[in-house]
This record gives sequence, C-alpha cells and structure tokens, in this order.
Amino acid sequence: MLSIAIVFFIALPVVAIILNLFAGPGETWGHIVRNLLGQYISNSFFLLALCSVLVLLFGVTTSWFVSRYEFPFRKHMEWLLILPLAIPSYIVAYAYAGVFDYGGTFELFLRRFGVEPMRIDIMNRMGLAFVLSISLFPYVYVSSRTFFVNEANNLLEASKVLGVGEVTSFFKLILPLARPAIVAGLVLVFMEVLNDYGAAAYFGVNTFTTGIFRSWFSLEEPETAIYLSAILVIIVFALLLFEKWQRRNKQFANNKSGSHYIHRKKLSRTGQWLMFLFVLTPVALGFFIPLIQLLYWAFLTFSKVFDFSFLQLSLQSFGIAFITAFITVLVATLLIFSTKWNKLGFVKTLSRLGVLGYAIPGAVVAIGIMIPTLAIDKWLIDFLYTSFGVKTGFLINGTLVALVYAYVVRFLAVAHGPVESTSLKVSATIPDASKTLGVGNFKTFFKIEFPLIKTGLLGAFILVFIDVLKELPLTLILKPYDINTLAVKAYEYASDERIMEAAIPSLFIIFTAAIPVIFLNRLLNKTK
Amino acid sequence: MKNIVYLMLAIAFFSCKNETKKEQEAKEVTVYTHRHYESDQILFKKFEEKTGIKVNIVNSSADELIQKMTIKGAQSPADVLITVDAGRLHRAKTNDLLQPVESEILNRAVPSHLRDSDNKWFGVSKRARIIAYAKDRVSEEELSTYEDLASEKWKNRIVVRSSSNVYNQSLMAAIIANNGEQAAKEWATGVVSNFAREPKGNDRDQVKAIFAGEGDVTLVNSYYIGNMLNSSNTEEVRAAQGIGIFFPNQKTTGTHVNVSGAGVAKYAPNRSNAIALLEFLVSDEAQEIFAKSNYEYPIHENVSVSETLQQWGDFKEDQLNLSILGENNKKAVILFDEARWN
Repeated sequence: MLSIAIVFFIALPVVAIILNLFAGPGETWGHIVRNLLGQYISNSFFLLALCSVLVLLFGVTTSWFVSRYEFPFRKHMEWLLILPLAIPSYIVAYAYAGVFDYGGTFELFLRRFGVEPMRIDIMNRMGLAFVLSISLFPYVYVSSRTFFVNEANNLLEASKVLGVGEVTSFFKLILPLARPAIVAGLVLVFMEVLNDYGAAAYFGVNTFTTGIFRSWFSLEEPETAIYLSAILVIIVFALLLFEKWQRRNKQFANNKSGSHYIHRKKLSRTGQWLMFLFVLTPVALGFFIPLIQLLYWAFLTFSKVFDFSFLQLSLQSFGIAFITAFITVLVATLLIFSTKWNKLGFVKTLSRLGVLGYAIPGAVVAIGIMIPTLAIDKWLIDFLYTSFGVKTGFLINGTLVALVYAYVVRFLAVAHGPVESTSLKVSATIPDASKTLGVGNFKTFFKIEFPLIKTGLLGAFILVFIDVLKELPLTLILKPYDINTLAVKAYEYASDERIMEAAIPSLFIIFTAAIPVIFLNRLLNKTK
Repeated sequence: MKNIVYLMLAIAFFSCKNETKKEQEAKEVTVYTHRHYESDQILFKKFEEKTGIKVNIVNSSADELIQKMTIKGAQSPADVLITVDAGRLHRAKTNDLLQPVESEILNRAVPSHLRDSDNKWFGVSKRARIIAYAKDRVSEEELSTYEDLASEKWKNRIVVRSSSNVYNQSLMAAIIANNGEQAAKEWATGVVSNFAREPKGNDRDQVKAIFAGEGDVTLVNSYYIGNMLNSSNTEEVRAAQGIGIFFPNQKTTGTHVNVSGAGVAKYAPNRSNAIALLEFLVSDEAQEIFAKSNYEYPIHENVSVSETLQQWGDFKEDQLNLSILGENNKKAVILFDEARWN
C-alpha cells in the first residue's frame, strides 16, 4: 500500500520525537516552569492573536479585491501579493530594524526633508507581530484567492438574482463558505509564527521556539527542548482540531468551478485608485520597503560580497526547491486522495501527525530525521555488503536524499492545506459514478478530480517552493557539504552580525522565488 | 508552456549534482566550523597550497555541529571542530567528541589558559569583552570593572544584548568563577535593575544605541567594534568612532577574553591531516591573517595586532583557564534567568 508507506515515512520523524517524550524533561524543567514558561506562553499567544488579526486583514481583503474588482495594476498585484513570502522573515526583521535604526533609512529620509528625526522602536513584541504578519499574510491571500476565483462567481450570481447586495453577500455568504480555505492559510501562519526563531531572537522576544533553542543549546538539555517542542505540537494539534471542528458541517461541493469567466467590477476612477492604494499597502510593507532596504545594503557591500558563484548557488537552490516542491505536492495529493479512496481511518490520523512537522522547529525535525535514517543507512550498508559485496557509504545521510526527505516532512503541511481545501469542494458523486462504471481510481483522478484541483496544486507548489528556498536550520544540519543554498549563505553573514552583507544573498533568494511565482501565476490565470 | 516546464525540470535535475560518497582519501580533511569569515577561506586555501591536503568545509552553528557529531558518532566524517567560543569546545569535550593531541608546536604557540588541560582543544584567536561608553556622558574615570556595572550610579544607563548570547554567558561564567555564584547572581540582578531598555539586538546595535543616546554604557565584543570601524556603512563608522572603548578590570582580574578554537574529532578519519591543520592555524603566517583581516587578537605575541586594535593599546587579560567557561555555562544561564536578564 503506497499510502501507508508514505504516511509511515512522513510520520516517522514526528513519532521519533514524541517517543523521546517518555524520557521526561531534564533537570532544569522546574527552573523553566518557574522562571520562563509563563513568558513563553504569554508572548506566543500574544503573537498568535495579533498576527491573526493583521494577517486576515491583509490577506482576505486583498485577495477579495484582486479577484472581484478591476483597478490599475491589478494583474501585477496578483503576483506581487505573494512575494512578501519570498523574503525570510528574519531578514524582514533585520531590514525593518535597519530602516528604523539610528542612522537608518527612515532617519536619513526625514533628515533630507529637514524634519527632526524621531525614533520608532520596532524591536519589541508589537513590532515582531507586525513583521511576521506582513511577511506571512500571503498564505491567507493564496488560500482564499483560490476560493474567491473559483467559487465566488456562481454564488454571487445566485445572490444577485435574489436581490442581495455584494457587500452583504460577502459577509453573509462568501466569507462563511470561504472559511475552510481562509483557516487553512491561517493555520500555516500560526505554525510559522510559533516556529520563528531568528526574528524573535533578534527583537529580544522570548517565545516557545527561542525557549526550545535556549534549553537545548544554552542549558544543554535536548530532552527539555524536546519536551517544550511537544507542548508546541500539542498546541498546534489543538489548533488543527479546532479547524476541523469549525468546518464540521460545511461540506461544500461544486463541480462547475473554474468554468466561468469572472466579471470583475469596476468602481469609479477615484474608487479604483483608492482600492489600488489599499492593496498596495501590504505589498509595500511586506515587499518593497524591505526590498529597498536590502538593495541599499547590497549597493554598499556589492564590491565586497558579490561574485559569480551566486549564480551557480541560485541555480542549485532553485533545483532543490523545485524537486522538493514537486515531490511534496505529489505526496500531499496522494495522501489526501488515497485516504479518500480507501477510507482508512488510521492512515488519516497518521497523516495528521505527519502534517505536524511544520510546527516543530526545523532543527528538531532534523533530529527526528537523523535518528531513524541513520538506522536505515547502517542496515543498508550491511545489507549491500553481505548480499552483494558492494561497499558503500551513507546513502541517505549527508546526501540530498535526507535533505529532501526532511523538507517534505517539514513542508507537507504547506501543501496539505491548499490541496485539501480544494479537494473538499470536489463532490464525491462524480468520481463515485465514474468508479461504478468500472474506471479505476487513478484514471478517475486524472480525468475528473485533477482538473478541478489544479489551481490548488499550483498554489501549493509555489508556497512549498518559496519555503524551501528560504529554509534554514534543517538545511544547515542535513545538507551535503558540497551543496550550498542561498539561505545558508545569507545566514552565514547575518549570524556574524554582518547584516548588510547578507543583503545580496537575500536578494538572490527573492529573485529566484519571483520566477516561478510570476510564471505559475500566469498558469493560474489561464485555467480560469 | 509545456516546454518551459520541461526546461525547468531539466535545470532542476542538472543543478543537483548527485553526491556519491567517496572512499576516504588520505589527502583531505573535513572541517566542521562555526566560523565563516573570508579570512578563514584564505587560511584554508593557503593550507591546501602548502600541503596539498584538500579542506572540506561544513559551516553551521557550533551547537548544530556538536549535535550532528553526537548523533553520527563513529560514523561522523568530521576531522576538525572549530567554534567561536571556548564554552562550546568544552561541551564537545564533555560529550566525548574530541581526542587529545600531543603537539609540541601547539603547546608552545598557545598559552596554557587558552587551551584545554587535556589537550583536546586549542585557542586560535582571541576576542575581548569590553565596555563601550558614550564619550559625552561618561568619563573614563567613572568606569572600572564589570562588577561596578551593578552599582546604583548606572541606573537607567545600561543597554546590553540578550543573555542567549554566548559571549554574555561566558562573561557570566567567568564572574561565577572569580567571585562565586551568590555574588554573580547579585551582580546580574543589579545590572538588570540598571537597564535602560530590555535586552535586544546584537552587539553592533548596542553600540549604535549608545551613540544615539538610548543608554550610556554597554558590553561589547572587541571584534565587532573593529568591524564597525571598517564598515561600508558610514553611519556605522560614525557610531563606532563616536563611542569610547574601555578595558575593564585592569586593576583586578583582567579583561574577560574568549577564543575561537579548534579540536580534533574523536573519530577523525584523517587524524594526521587534522593535526597538521591545527598546527598551521597557530603558525605565524596564519596568525598574521587572523590579526590583519578580522580584527581579532592573535593567540600568541609573535604577531602584532591590526592597526585598529593597536590604537586601543595593550591590556591585561583574565588568566582564568577557559575550560571553566564551559563548566559554568549552564549555571550562568540559570542565573541570568533568575535575575530576569532576558
């Protein structure tokens, strides 16, 4: 059974971590509970609360406007709204700190106009929530746009016939029905927020994840770190259950999706420009402002940092991200549909477990990967030697196999959300009918379901691709030494407080990410 | 459209060259290092030219490298571990990841307090944790020791980075060793009550905060000031030039120093190459590069420091054996937490 095998491999690292729980926390656990845990919980929940408000505000409104209205530069906004994701959030944090720094861009800008510079302190938890929100809102934008583009047309037409206005039907009809899609994006944002280390550490905000790193590396107790990760996993699991529960009765199926031409509304001239400005705001905050700051730094450090190896590095990062995104989307699709076909309850539960990989800090996932794969490697070496007399080194560890495996585990959730929410809308009746006529699962899938969920798959692909491009801790631990990525290069500079020098590799990440975003956005539009 | 997809796939596959594990060759050495400076690339290149031994570099944070070595055990390909603080080297030693090296060259070149007592690791370059102060609001006479930063007169005048930072941890570990745990805790509590703002940012940010007037004194690593003075950002240079540098504890224990250091991995497949690399790193030729290109202090006095550092003059350094920084690290972190030093 393919699906069981997949689920097994996906859940393996998470299970390996959970099994470690039985060893109990280390001796500093009491100290952590006494002195730190309260802070971790309050800061993490503060971030979740503020981020969800901001992310919904930015993500849902922009995707609604972009899908339903015509305004200047709308077509460009469609893909620009995804790009904030392309900048690693810790780099966004550094960029904003640079903007509002002493002698920073903001101050220089004010000085130029003769205004007495005022200091804005962004390095606190409010600032952190802001930075995370503007770099993560595209998750919600992407997941809700798929719905708005595909479904909203028919619904709106129906409500128009019934004489209901657009605003009313947005709140009364569209929003409730779009909820699964929106929440799927929101859950991803939650996991990213909980998982952030770089930005929180730099801004001096203690969260669960900074706590995990502190207890692991500063207090030298991996077991305590794993214990904290487990609490984090439980929180995320609760969030996932909540999501399931909130859409319990909201099964919604529509087979005609994608077949309609969308008629976009046109506001008055002023209205159009206001809408443009509104949509531009999150793009400017999440993309252009950090981009300009990075370009400025790159200009200052260009002669010191740039060399042509960056081109090769970009190509390598691109390749790894492309393959990983492809495999991840494939795995997510297989998982969702094979559980659908076979109605295997335990596979479903296990696949939920696998999805949790996203909530666990990358460094911890790496451990979860190394433990079982080392065992497999040792077995393989013995097996190949005794049965075939072939002497090999590690076939998984220290090669791309382990790295890509880890990426798939880590980013499955990113693909799982959009694929699942689009697959939900495919009603069971047509595939069922097709099967009663004796057509096999796979053929039915390609003839009927695939065209319906194609947009979801593309969206998932873009998200995973970008995530892999900027991924850090996993890559650091598991990458083969002769392979390098742009994110690693950026980190090398940033970790040594050479933030300005990190700008050039960061810019390469952005450009590399922009290519498929633009290209796939075209594809997305064509399917309409 | 389809062609483009094929093209992308082709690029994707070609760009990921398949790494096949080669049999161990005698002419290479694998270095796990936390340092990723241009100076190191120059050093490794020089070593390759001199000896014909190829250097494979694995870059990551020391914590992750140690974790990686622990999990892989005897299968680890690492020959040499290089970190930017003595505490991590000590941790690698206690996790039984390093092996002793008997080398006359190393023993002669590295002062005994800057290497492990069992010869499992050796310092290769030095940094000092110094006080930076606002010239217009603080006179040099007001400054004396690290301990003094806990006194009442610095109320609302101290900015400093988080206690997650390893240089703060090692300073605390040294204070525990010099003054005892109780005094160290009181010190931390005193410093926290003098904070002008919550700890945040990195060392460079602290210097800029002092220059911008958010506080009057801070603790900072000498090497970062050197880098700021030679930065391509004019504002950073201005900030670094605008503040004063003070080497604390000159009349008492001496200024706290930490090292970048190296050790040979316990299961090093290329042990003799690893030792050759270590010996090269402490040679005059290599030390010259450390001192000139990276604003670090050389490990021995055969080599003079860079111009930038020369302006600050000589200083008396704490003679505490750096192994103690590792031994006290955990205690230091707990004390920081109890003192609410974030």
